[in-house]
Amino acid sequence: MRRKLLAATLSLAVVLTMFTGCNVQMEDESAGGSATASSESKTEMVGTGDKEIDVLIYAQEHEKVVYQDLIAKFTEEHSGEISKVNFEVTTQEEYGAKMTAAMIADDLPDIFYVGPEAVRSYVDNGYVLALDNYVGEEVDNLWPAIKSAYMYDGSQIGAGSLYCLPKDLSCFAFAYNKDIFDESGLAYPDPQDPYTFDEFLDVCKQLTKDTDGDGEVDQWGVANADAFGMTPYLYGNGGHFLNEDYTKVVVNENEAFKEAFKYYCDLTAVEGVTPSVEQDTALGGYQRWLDGQVAFYACGTWDVAAFMDKNTFPYEWDLCGWPVGPSGDGKSTAWLGTVGFAVSSKTEHPELCAQLIASLSTDLEGQKALCGETTGKSLQLPNVMDYAKTTFKEKVADGTIPYANNVDVIFGYIEGSDTYNGIFTETTYTYNAEWWDIFLEGIPNVKTGKISAEDYLAEVQPKMQEALDNAIELQNSATK
Amino acid sequence: MGQSKKVRKVKMSKMAKREERWAWLFIAAPFIGFLCFMAYPIVFAVIASMSKWTGLNSLVDNMCGLGNYIAIFQDEKFWKSLGTTIIYLIGIPIGMLLGLLIAMGMNRKIPGKRMLTTMYYVPVVSSLVAVSILWAWVFNYDYGLLNTIIKFLTGQHGPNWLGDEAWVKVAMIIFMTWKGLGTSVILYVAGLQNIPKDYYEAARIDGANAWQSFKNITMPLVSPVTFYIMITSLIGGLQVFVEVQVMTTNGGTNYSAATVVYYLYDKAFSNGQLGYGCAIAVLLAIIVFIITAINFALQDKWVKTMD
Repeated sequence: MRRKLLAATLSLAVVLTMFTGCNVQMEDESAGGSATASSESKTEMVGTGDKEIDVLIYAQEHEKVVYQDLIAKFTEEHSGEISKVNFEVTTQEEYGAKMTAAMIADDLPDIFYVGPEAVRSYVDNGYVLALDNYVGEEVDNLWPAIKSAYMYDGSQIGAGSLYCLPKDLSCFAFAYNKDIFDESGLAYPDPQDPYTFDEFLDVCKQLTKDTDGDGEVDQWGVANADAFGMTPYLYGNGGHFLNEDYTKVVVNENEAFKEAFKYYCDLTAVEGVTPSVEQDTALGGYQRWLDGQVAFYACGTWDVAAFMDKNTFPYEWDLCGWPVGPSGDGKSTAWLGTVGFAVSSKTEHPELCAQLIASLSTDLEGQKALCGETTGKSLQLPNVMDYAKTTFKEKVADGTIPYANNVDVIFGYIEGSDTYNGIFTETTYTYNAEWWDIFLEGIPNVKTGKISAEDYLAEVQPKMQEALDNAIELQNSATK
Repeated sequence: MGQSKKVRKVKMSKMAKREERWAWLFIAAPFIGFLCFMAYPIVFAVIASMSKWTGLNSLVDNMCGLGNYIAIFQDEKFWKSLGTTIIYLIGIPIGMLLGLLIAMGMNRKIPGKRMLTTMYYVPVVSSLVAVSILWAWVFNYDYGLLNTIIKFLTGQHGPNWLGDEAWVKVAMIIFMTWKGLGTSVILYVAGLQNIPKDYYEAARIDGANAWQSFKNITMPLVSPVTFYIMITSLIGGLQVFVEVQVMTTNGGTNYSAATVVYYLYDKAFSNGQLGYGCAIAVLLAIIVFIITAINFALQDKWVKTMD
């Protein structure tokens, strides 16, 4: 009996461990700033017509619900034409592999995501349909920055035919914890006048302290994730990774870049106003921000709902600009991001598919849900510009949409202004991001002081160039 | 010979013929499976390895001969990841030795033997992703179990196990040894139980001490098990991927934790270089084949049986 009980207990432990694995993996797969897990699913919406449409996207759980409703609504409106819409949602990590498999099998879904970095390859190889003849004036009301990211004339992005309709336009702004400022007696950052590098360092020094008196620093000015929070410092000082036509790595030649990179690494290595590399591996900046340990942290448009949720982030906070370097144009700069809905060039129902993606991209009810007017959780800025600039802002001001007060910071980055500038990172314009990954790999050694910023840039530039050359070669081969 | 075959065929009853057809059907299932899921992908990978195929472009129009292989031989990251993979193999002899010692301890009448066996085997049947996440927490710099113990015992802060270029390798070896221990223990226990007790009695009568019995009886007679564990561990060790993917960020600082298979995945699926990835896969298969062949060739020199 005892033996059976033991065997049963151990079996249960094993099974539980396995399930734990599944659950944790799912949560892990949703990484990228949002707190909600995403999972794979397939849903069918049935009509009475004879046209079948396959849709494949990746989405968070709450986004999936919105898109599912929109597709159901579209299917109902076009039930005389549509027999079935197969709506498949996967994780962002799985998406690339699924699309590669679909391309190899020559079995692309009718509708799928394409990022701006992939537009050239997809168009050159004839995978996506030009939408010019299928979409109407609804696209005139999209943000110009996103529309141009999906236009291609056969040689350049930004001109020619339109190939995708945006799922979103996001930006990675900067946020600060008001409670930490209040406790330190410091004035809040001015959204109209972002800090200079020196001012920012000075504020961070004042905010970095040992709050419980145990002799160890437990509150820092800022936490920076290299992959997401480094480029605003570099771009904000006029630095760039690549030359203008994206063929040459210039990290060791561009003085503005070198200056900003050194400043960025010194925040950790010399000034100690960020958690150390070791502390960062123990607990990431995002968790430290949520725990109220850091005063400044990056805030993507998709993060707003989580930061506004008191259960997730029980502090007062607001948006501000990234610091501005001395060698740039004086504008605070953040990176923009987007992914778009594309229609397969081999679809049998181009018009219907184009109408469906137009509704996913611009349907006002859908946009209201995604930006938080009807759901109370803002996952993205509205794609529809008029609505964003008027009703959305009003709803933010009157509190209908829970949002940070300084929402104009985000509008500044997206629209551009005298103070703000938003740009797509240079990986958007190269076939792959291997050169960028190589740059990231060794940064911890600079931040721990094992190698100087100058030596690192000199060492890493040729490796990055080799990877960029490969990417260019692959880009060229993509047209064969 | 041919005639007798013919005669036998003619004499086949209906039932025998039906049975033969069924036999072919049973044989066909795994054979077709092999053709579809092994032979075809292998041939395809070999062809793709000689192209600049990206998945988007045409494989046929982008053939490059041995270009990828030449590039791999000059690829610093490939050699680095291969070196790291080989370093991780250090865990195999450590695991085997520990496995044998534990198995010897368990090869006697001790209370809780079944529970111990199950405990050692739990890591083998647990989800690799789950245990990797658990061990990532064990190795956590500030809050990890290991560094907490080190701090308690020495008063010093332990190393940055997963963030430091050298320590991450130690951490991975510890993890892999732990993960593989259960298999070694189970197999060694089975191997030890097959050794007749008479051998030890005879040795004792002849005046052999414990070490001599171990060296001259146990070691040689469990050598087939040792051989099996070594072969399977080497093949598995050269294909490590999940733990690196789960426990480190982007292959660790300066790619210090990345293995060949991690690099292959990185190239093929993160950077869209499927042709190059196939070339790495082919090279890895050749390396595995050579190591396995050497092991089989040398087995006569040290693998003993009871016959």
